[in-house]
This record gives sequence, structure tokens and C-alpha cells, in this order.
Amino acid sequence: MNQDILTFSHVAAGYGEKNILEDITLSIKEGDFAGLIGCNGAGKSTLIKCISGLLPLRGGSISICQKEHAALKPRERAQLVAVVPQSYHVKYDFTAEDIVLMGRNPYLSFRKKEGPEDYAIVEEAMRATNTEIFRKRLYNELSGGERQRVILARAIAQKPRIILLDEPTSALDVHHQIEVMELISRLNEEEHMTVLAVLHDINMASRFCKRMIMLQDGGVFADGTPQEVINRENMEQLYQMKLLIRESAIFHKPEIIPVRVMDAPKAKERRHIHVICGANKAVKLLEELDAKGYQVTAGVINQGSEDWEICRELHIPCVEIEPFTPVTPTKQEENLRLIADAPLILVADVPFGVANLQNLVGLENAPGQIYFHKNALSNDYTNGKLIRQLEYLGTKKKVTYIGDHDEFLHLLEKEEKRISKNKN
Amino acid sequence: MKKLRKKWLLFLSIFLCLALIYLCTIVGTASISFEDVNRILLHEIFGLPADMEGISQGSITIIRDVRLPRVVLGFLAGAALAVCGAGFQGIFKNPMADPFVLGVSSGAALGASIGMVLRFSGSFLGISGTTLLAFIGAFATIGLVYNISRVGKRVPVSTLLLSGIAVSQTLSAAMSIIMILNRQTLDQIMFWTMGSLNGKGWRQILLVLPYAILGGLILFTSSRELDIILTGEDTAIQLGVNVEFLKKKVLFASTLITAAVISVTGIIGFVGLVVPHIVRMLTGPKHRILLPLSLLFGGTFLILCDTAARSLASWEIPVGIITSLCGGPFFLYLLRNMKKGGDFS
Repeated sequence: MNQDILTFSHVAAGYGEKNILEDITLSIKEGDFAGLIGCNGAGKSTLIKCISGLLPLRGGSISICQKEHAALKPRERAQLVAVVPQSYHVKYDFTAEDIVLMGRNPYLSFRKKEGPEDYAIVEEAMRATNTEIFRKRLYNELSGGERQRVILARAIAQKPRIILLDEPTSALDVHHQIEVMELISRLNEEEHMTVLAVLHDINMASRFCKRMIMLQDGGVFADGTPQEVINRENMEQLYQMKLLIRESAIFHKPEIIPVRVMDAPKAKERRHIHVICGANKAVKLLEELDAKGYQVTAGVINQGSEDWEICRELHIPCVEIEPFTPVTPTKQEENLRLIADAPLILVADVPFGVANLQNLVGLENAPGQIYFHKNALSNDYTNGKLIRQLEYLGTKKKVTYIGDHDEFLHLLEKEEKRISKNKN
Repeated sequence: MKKLRKKWLLFLSIFLCLALIYLCTIVGTASISFEDVNRILLHEIFGLPADMEGISQGSITIIRDVRLPRVVLGFLAGAALAVCGAGFQGIFKNPMADPFVLGVSSGAALGASIGMVLRFSGSFLGISGTTLLAFIGAFATIGLVYNISRVGKRVPVSTLLLSGIAVSQTLSAAMSIIMILNRQTLDQIMFWTMGSLNGKGWRQILLVLPYAILGGLILFTSSRELDIILTGEDTAIQLGVNVEFLKKKVLFASTLITAAVISVTGIIGFVGLVVPHIVRMLTGPKHRILLPLSLLFGGTFLILCDTAARSLASWEIPVGIITSLCGGPFFLYLLRNMKKGGDFS
């Protein structure tokens, strides 16, 4: 069952003078659902073209079902491998059924015409892809998602062992993207069809693929389960940008959150800002402060919260506690030690309860300026203790109230300008 | 439902076609009565006993050896050109392609003009020198164009089209030089390039028929693959079509047919372009129905044009002029419509 069905050994191929693929060696097992990822020009589509016979190899070899690829005739290859390309237009007026019936071509010849058996296979393929309702409609008049399902039906009618997909969902909206991916997934699970798909959406690939193969510089850069391949190092290499990786709460697969490509304008001075947070509202602020080049610390944060995740991702030093445990005085002491160095302290938009009110204890002795996000007052679950704590703090120190996090960033900018003017 | 409709369309076309052949045999400059024509046809063609009294031998000869073969050859030529056009439009995936686009016609014309200038009076297996040279010219041209366009094992259609145009222009220029240097044969060459069915008989039909049948068989058995290649060459390869072989096959078959036809009739333009187009509008792009209907419509169209050519004026108009007069404006109409649709490539 699980033997190699598709093997590449030292494959090289390309266009013109340039080799896109330099040295690809890998094998796909029967029943695999493998996603090919890589940046534009990494050779994902080129690899698909090599397998489907559109592009001759310049070196190495491919074997399909233990058969030497180069020795296969087009119709023999088409019996083993079907291709679903990117969104696909046909200038002529074929009906959806005509298109699906073309999938039977590898089994027909100039002597053998389409028979009842072929029509039965076509009907079954169209039922499996929910396309039988528009079998008599013109392919051109279908929507993008419908067209892609028709092409998928054609691939199924080909009765291949391997199905290759080249960005099958790139022109579709989310609904149809998921629909097509679910169909492919079902083919893989129920029919044990081997799937090799070029996918540019990493999260889609992570969710549906059993295995991911990352191409880079003409070779295989990473290969393994989504958990193994999707890590910060690989992804930043792939996309050349800042991004976050976390486990999707719903699918338990890693997912990426693209953050920024262009560097944020750097602050002139690397000032230390301590952020008191711990829920999920300070994520953007923490990232932005970090990107601007401030020295950011945070605390006291519940493990598992989104604020905690971003601190971990960005290596922001923070004081942390286990989830659903109160901030203890010892932890707060740790927090205060971080605070002691900070000329700026921000109490971010965080709901306060008795468990985390401890965060504000001892702030009166901090040397830095204190900023307080007003919205925290709307999420006050302390029965008035928060207000009293703030009033007490107010008697000892100046507390600047801000309306939102952007306002805080603005204030920082203004202050910086003022400082640099004074210096001049 | 749709299948039934297509069957009806096919039957209707066959019927119309036969009716037209009949009608066009009746029409002509020599006034032979309707009744006499019927009797001649029954007696001479179908071998049925008919009363032949009072019909002059001249009338019999006109119907049997002049008009009827002319109509049949017209049908054959029109059908052949239209089927080739459909095939070409298939492999080029371009509704504007026709059998002449790769220079078959210029090659044939050059061959024919050389034959006329050299006064090639000899004949080979009963084929006149001019015809033979035209046939050779047509075939050699396609061979040249094909080999120029070949990149490794592949022949990209865009290169094929471009080199076809270039070679075609060059050959036309060569023919013009021949015409200027040999003014005494200028008229003859001119008339040849306008195409005519005048003076052709059963011998010419027998000459063309084997090629037409062979080429036609090749094209008709490629129907499914031609359908698939319309959806794109890459897709066709992925669906198991040997695209390069198909191109070669269709080019060879079409060249065979076209060369055979025009070496006998001269250049008859636009039939191969216009007819498959009209049929495609009626039936859709599937070659299984497109090819047979193109055959019928093409034949019918040329018979009509030829009947017009020989009966509109007191002198004979070359039929190529009539087809071009009908086809040119239609071509332009298509061009404009396609532009509006934004789908012209």
C-alpha cells in the first residue's frame, strides 16, 4: 500500500538558459497528500510541468508507479497522472459534460469511441463534485468555483493514481477555496488518491496536507509534516517578512499570521517601555513597539493568552504566570524589577479582576512615567478596587490617561521630537 | 434533445445539399428543358430506363460531361476546403485560420505559374504538368514552413503562423517576378490564381478524390483530439494527446487535400475560413459534428458560388472571385464582432 508512487532523483529543469530546478530528490508515497510550497519562482509549478510531461528534464529522472517517466507515452502518463491547473478558461463553447468527458481520452483511441462505461464514469465523477446539475450548461458560463469543480471532475474521470494540482484555489473566494480543498481531501481519504498540490496559501496547506515540501533555490529546503515545516525560520526564509506562527485553535495545525514586510520607522532612542497587559488586546501594540526598536518588557501575563504568545514569538522579556492563577506578590516583585528600569510604563487595555489587580501594586514607587488605557476602566471586575488603587496611585504620581494605543504611540513620537529639539 | 436536434440538422443538410446539386445541374446558360435534364440524369447517371427521344447528343454531353461533373467537383472542392479549414482552426485554436494561411496557396500558385511559363505540355499519369507542379509547390511550401518553425521536437503554432505568412509573401513575390518577365502568360496565371471550375470533368474528380478521402479520414478520426486541443495545448498533453503528432497529422492531411484540390481548380479562397465558422455558430465547437457539417455546407456553398459564377454574367466569372466577394466582408464582420467580445487572439 504505502510504497513510493512518485520518485524524483536529482531532477533538473528550466526555461531558456536558466535552470529553475537544480537538484530535486524526493519521493511521494501512495496515499500521500503533499503540499508544495515555496516563493514565486521556486519551481513549484515547474515541477508539476515536469511530471505532467509539459517540460522535458535537463537532468535526473522521475518515475511514476515504478515506470520511467521519459519512456511513458502521453496517453500512458495521462492514465496515471491527472492535472488540475489554475483557473482555466476555454474560448470555445463546450458544455461542462464535454469537458469532463475529455478526461476519458487516455483510454480511447481513433478506433475506440466513448462507450456507456465512459459515460458512467463521467456521471459518477460529476456527482462526486456536485457538478451534475449543470452538466449541460456551457463551461464558459459557469462561475470560477463551478469551473474548478468541473476540471476536478475531469481529473477524476481520468481515473489516475496521482492527482496534481497547481494552485487550484488561487482564483476562488473563500467559500469555493474550502469547497475545492475539501473535495480533494475527500478523494485522498476515501479513494486513497495520491495528491501533490502547489499551494500558495500556507494556512490552507497546513490544514489539509499530511506532508509539506518546501522548495527553495532549485532544491528541497524542508520536507515533513506541517508541524515540522511551518516554523519561524522556514517561513521567514520563504516570505522574507515578519510573521507569527501559532497553532490554530480549531484545526490544531500550525498557521501563520503575516505581520509586516516593511520595517516600521525606527524610534531614535531605544527607550525602555514596560507594558502591563495579559489578555489579548495588547498584541498589536507590543509588536509595533518592538518593530519600532523600543526595548519592550511586559508583565504579569497569563500563559496561553495572546499577549503571552506574541511576547514569546518576539522574545520580549516578560513575567508570566500559569493560566487562571492570581498574580502573587513574588511575581509582582519580579514585575517591579523590570518596571524599575523603564522610563515609560503603560497599563494597556486589559480587564482587571482581583486576580491581576496586584499588577498595579507598587507602581507608585516606579521611577518612570505612567500611562493608563482608559478602556481598562470599562472592564473593571474588581468591585471598585481598581478605582481606589488608581486614586491612590494618583496621589503619589502623575498618571496620564490615554484613549487608545495609537494615542500612546503618538505621544511617544511627540515626546521624541521634543527631546531631539532640545538637544539641538 | 440536443443530440436529436443535431441529427436532424445533419439530415436536413444532406437533403438540402442533394436538392442543390440537382437544382444547379438544371441551371445553366445552355437552355435545356427541366424535363430533358431529368430524363438525361435518370438515363445516364442512374442507368434507369428513360425515354431519350428528342434529346440531342449535345444536351446529353452538356449535362453528363460538363454540368454534372462541374457540380460534383464544386461540391468536392468546397467540402474538402471547409473540412481542412475546420481542422486548421482546431490545431491553431484560432477561428481566423484557414488552409491557405501557411502558404499552401502561394506554393501551388508558384508551381502552377512555373508550369505555365515553361509550357509544360507533357503529362504524367494523365495529370497535366501545371497541376503536378502546383501540387508539388503546395506540399514543398508546407514542408518548408514546418521545418522553419520547428524548435527541437516541438512546433509552436505562433511560429508556424508567422513563418507561414513570411514564406507565403516571399513566394507571391517570386510569382510576381515570373509574371512580369513572362507577360504573354500573365492572363493565364492571373486566371489560375482566381480559381475556376470551368472545363473540369470527371477525370479531375478522380484525381482529387483519393487524396480527399485519405485526408478526410485522417481528419475525421482526429475529432476527439481536435476538441481537446481547443481547450489548450498543455491541457491536451495532460489528457494524453500526442499534440505534436496531432499537429503533424492534421497539417499533413489538410495539405494533402488542399494541394490536391487547388492544383486542379486554382485558388478558391475563404471557403475554408467562412464555412467552419458558420457551422460552429450553429452546432458548437465539437468536431464530431463540426467536420461532417462543414463538409456538407462547404460543398453546398461552393456549388452555389459556382452556379452564380457561370450564370450571373454572359461570360464566366472565376469562382474564387465570388467566394472572396462573399467571404471577405463576412470575415470583417467576424473580426468586428470578436473585437467587441474582447476575445480575439
